[in-house]
Amino acid sequence: MRFEEVSKAYGETVVFDRFSLAVKERTILSVVGPSGGGKTTLLHLASGLIEADSGQVVKEESERGAVSYLFQEPRLIPTSTVFANVELALRSSEACAKVRAQIVEHYLTMVGLWEDRFLYPAQLSGGMRQRVAIARSFAHPSSLMLLDEPFQSLDIKLRYSLMDAFLKLWRERAKTTLFVTHDPKEAIALGDAVCCLSDPTKPLLYQTIDTPREERGIDDGRLLALEAQLIKALLGS
Amino acid sequence: MKPVKHTLVALIASALLLVLWQVGAWLLDSQILLPGLAPVFRTLLSIVAKGPFLVDISETVGRAFQSFLIIVALGSILGVLGGNYPLFSAAMRPFVTTLKAVPVMSIILLAFIWFTSGQVPLFSAFLMGFPVMYVQVESGWRSIDTNLIQMCDLYQIDGKDRLIHFTIPSLVPSLVTGARISLSMVWKVIIAAEVLTVPRHGVGSRMQLAQVQLQTDRVLSWTLVAILLTAAGDLLFELLVLAGARAKRAVDRRRAG
Repeated sequence: MRFEEVSKAYGETVVFDRFSLAVKERTILSVVGPSGGGKTTLLHLASGLIEADSGQVVKEESERGAVSYLFQEPRLIPTSTVFANVELALRSSEACAKVRAQIVEHYLTMVGLWEDRFLYPAQLSGGMRQRVAIARSFAHPSSLMLLDEPFQSLDIKLRYSLMDAFLKLWRERAKTTLFVTHDPKEAIALGDAVCCLSDPTKPLLYQTIDTPREERGIDDGRLLALEAQLIKALLGS
Repeated sequence: MKPVKHTLVALIASALLLVLWQVGAWLLDSQILLPGLAPVFRTLLSIVAKGPFLVDISETVGRAFQSFLIIVALGSILGVLGGNYPLFSAAMRPFVTTLKAVPVMSIILLAFIWFTSGQVPLFSAFLMGFPVMYVQVESGWRSIDTNLIQMCDLYQIDGKDRLIHFTIPSLVPSLVTGARISLSMVWKVIIAAEVLTVPRHGVGSRMQLAQVQLQTDRVLSWTLVAILLTAAGDLLFELLVLAGARAKRAVDRRRAG
């Protein structure tokens, strides 16, 4: 997916001005940046929720069609069960209820919530709710994944366990993914590449990460250096 | 333990009310001003035992039920329109504000000029209950979570699925609150209208006739009937809400295998 010379302004505020950025097909691009730096606008442009004032968002063949969006909050329907919350996201694409049930079972099992399928969102912890949202985002037959700080409001242990759950599902069927976060550590743990947004005209920093995800330790010198670079870019902005 | 405690307190408070009534009756010592418990209950039993009692009750219940259904149906449809279309809401505002401000008695008296005595209670109850239902549904529609609407858009939850699994459940709390409040209003207005217009049958008509003949025991007996009718209506409504919630949970469970 490529953002080609995209411009977007809200009134007087210019968020993007002939801004270009490319995300390699079936990889995760982590995007960090200060609040108001255009992170959510980038996701909205990618999802088609908003249109660019000028320029274009070009998608590869495999990236066209439905979009899965993981929000900051789980955004589950409070009156529907865990099962129904995932199943509803499948209805537009799968007519057979039996097949839908099998898909839901697969994804809920992957996030460890199949036994809790009868429960309602209010009966779940914050982490469990976000797991349901992750299962829903993968069950939905999308070709593009957009993550808007989905692990932000959780404690560190839960955050990493949810990131693991996410990666487990992502490896099963890799999709082009834009991952927006405030946290450089999170960005490096998940991304195939990281970039920092703040300047409306270009990314402040763009760096691919060659170390395979499973070998990325928290004390890896190269990754720590990248983290320092990201923090500097953020502070500079 | 808590519900038991609450029921006990409610029972004691009810008993206290009856004691106060009896003490008042002793002090006043007048069958016309305030008859005691025993004569009122005797009269109540004699009223219940007679044939017209059922006709009176069914007429009043029928009127209440009809106006309640019209209020719920029209209040819901127009409330959704008002919530969805700001222009429609602006057009409805003067009607709703006027109806909320007009005294019940004015509506009943005016209705009596325009309609026959049997229709007045129905019409008056509708005019009093409708604004409550309308306002509840309108604000309920406006407070539907926009984040969830966006989620439904992105996950392509559309049409019938969105209506059944998201829109209607989001409106249920305001529908139930609106219906609950209008139901309790309906009983009061129906009976007040019956008292003023005295249709052939109805709890209010019996009250009025008893009052004219200074039969305070009969007025109080019919008042007790009205209280019991309201309580039974409220109870039935709550049971329906409970049964609806239970049925939904059962369907959800079956669907989740």
